[in-house]
Amino acid sequence: MILNNCIYLLFRIIINNLLMKKTILIMMLVATVFSFSQEDEQLNIAQTQLLNLADLQSGLTIGGYGEVTYNDFDTGPSEIDVQRLIILFAYKFDDRVSFITEIEYEHVKEVYIEQAWLNYALADNTNLRAGLLLVPMGIVNEYHEPTTFNGVERPTLDNKIVPTTWREIGMGIAGRINDLSMRYQAYVLNGPISYNGSYKLKGTNGLRGGRQKGAESQVSDANFAARLDYFGLLGLRLGASYYTGKTQTTDTSIIGSQVGVNMLGLDARYVKNNFSARAQYINAVLSDTEKYNLAGDKDLGSKMGGYYLEAAYNLLPIEARQRLDLFVRYENLNQHKEVEGSLKKNLALHRKEWTLGASYHLSRGSVFKIDYQSKGTALEGSKAKGQFNMGIGIFF
Amino acid sequence: MINSSFAFSQIHRRADKEIKKVFSVENYLLDRAINQNYEDFLTKRLLSINSNDQKIGYAYLGTAPSQTKYFDYVVLFDKNLVIQSIKILVYREDYGGEIGSKRWLSQFIGKTFFDKFIYRKNVAAISGATISVNSMTDAVNDILVYLKELKNQGVFDTAP
Repeated sequence: MILNNCIYLLFRIIINNLLMKKTILIMMLVATVFSFSQEDEQLNIAQTQLLNLADLQSGLTIGGYGEVTYNDFDTGPSEIDVQRLIILFAYKFDDRVSFITEIEYEHVKEVYIEQAWLNYALADNTNLRAGLLLVPMGIVNEYHEPTTFNGVERPTLDNKIVPTTWREIGMGIAGRINDLSMRYQAYVLNGPISYNGSYKLKGTNGLRGGRQKGAESQVSDANFAARLDYFGLLGLRLGASYYTGKTQTTDTSIIGSQVGVNMLGLDARYVKNNFSARAQYINAVLSDTEKYNLAGDKDLGSKMGGYYLEAAYNLLPIEARQRLDLFVRYENLNQHKEVEGSLKKNLALHRKEWTLGASYHLSRGSVFKIDYQSKGTALEGSKAKGQFNMGIGIFF
Repeated sequence: MINSSFAFSQIHRRADKEIKKVFSVENYLLDRAINQNYEDFLTKRLLSINSNDQKIGYAYLGTAPSQTKYFDYVVLFDKNLVIQSIKILVYREDYGGEIGSKRWLSQFIGKTFFDKFIYRKNVAAISGATISVNSMTDAVNDILVYLKELKNQGVFDTAP
């Protein structure tokens, strides 16, 4: 970056004073020498941008995030895992066009693509997007770097209902309205698959079993997702998300191979001085679940959803470079909020969970997390299961 | 002296628009605010805004990092070095662009180099834009420290 700045300044001085062809030729040679010492791609960038001094900073940016976790369950063996390691590549072709991709390594051996989309800036605050996109539902699906949420594991509400990390192939528009302090997103995209020879969705994991993740996905119906963010009240960020469509099937002629999905999400984040809080509500209405359950011998609910409330307090002084957030979160979600037909509600799918822990931010971008979870259900006579978690998270 | 038609790039065009709006002038002239041999702060310049041979204010054109790119902004001061406006001129990526919010930027208006901004305390956080919020806050603090130093050295004590 420093080298680019030197070239930029050099250009400015020379061109402002002597706009002669000979000088420019010499400058091009000098630029070539300077650029060549960095990367081969910079050679062409420097040359093409010789007379367009606006932005010599186009090119590749690399970032990433990762989590290493330890889970100790009440019963059963403990698990220690490099849960995920993500590499982010952002490439800026020019002022308007860029490409973002996130490559994910889960549990060391599974490779997935989390995002891969092309961004075209129509205007300063309006972008067209196409590719593998994050479904804008809830807080964590979009903002899932480990330094941005409390708790070693992501909230159960996001895991079971949303289901994070939910991404599909599609296209749409995303932008900002600075005067209104709002952000908007609207996409037409693929959806989770419910049938591809076998029935993928069931009561205990909802839409999660149908996530296609962009890998040779089946498309039978186009779905629609939209989200509005409002941050006009200082310290507060409000969000409203909506998703509607049908699950995908490889054979639309089979009765009950698809269900309709209508999902609404409302969330809020508040930060002020040492205090921070979050609240999220998700409600999903699935239609034709009776036909689906009959066809596939499954127990998918017709309504699932829930909410969580979280509060955190930073024990360190606000001017300190580190942060030690003590937090508590309560989650209440039900994957059998309602069931169609003769299906009986499974009370074990009504989960009530408490998480109490701390997030120690060693620096911006690095965090050590520790927490204890008590996971209970509405099942008669059931005892809450305990889980102790520890982990490190990084984001750069 | 550069006259008001200095807007040869998007950044300068937008800064020009903001200067005209904030100071209610149609024409103005820009000049280097400091004629001494000071090192250019962050490779950008502090400019004085003049109209009818009077100094009406100052403009600082700056650059600061966002998550994966950098953004350009302008801070406008009146002749007493009180912040009149901050505007993000160009924001080059998706995340963090929330700092362009008029409401959020208005927190800096009316402040002087006697003020210090502390994230989450007297500068509101924006969830999801932490990196750029901190970047802008740090930038404003640095500029104010810089101006205080210049003021102490009598750089602004010339006739208006």
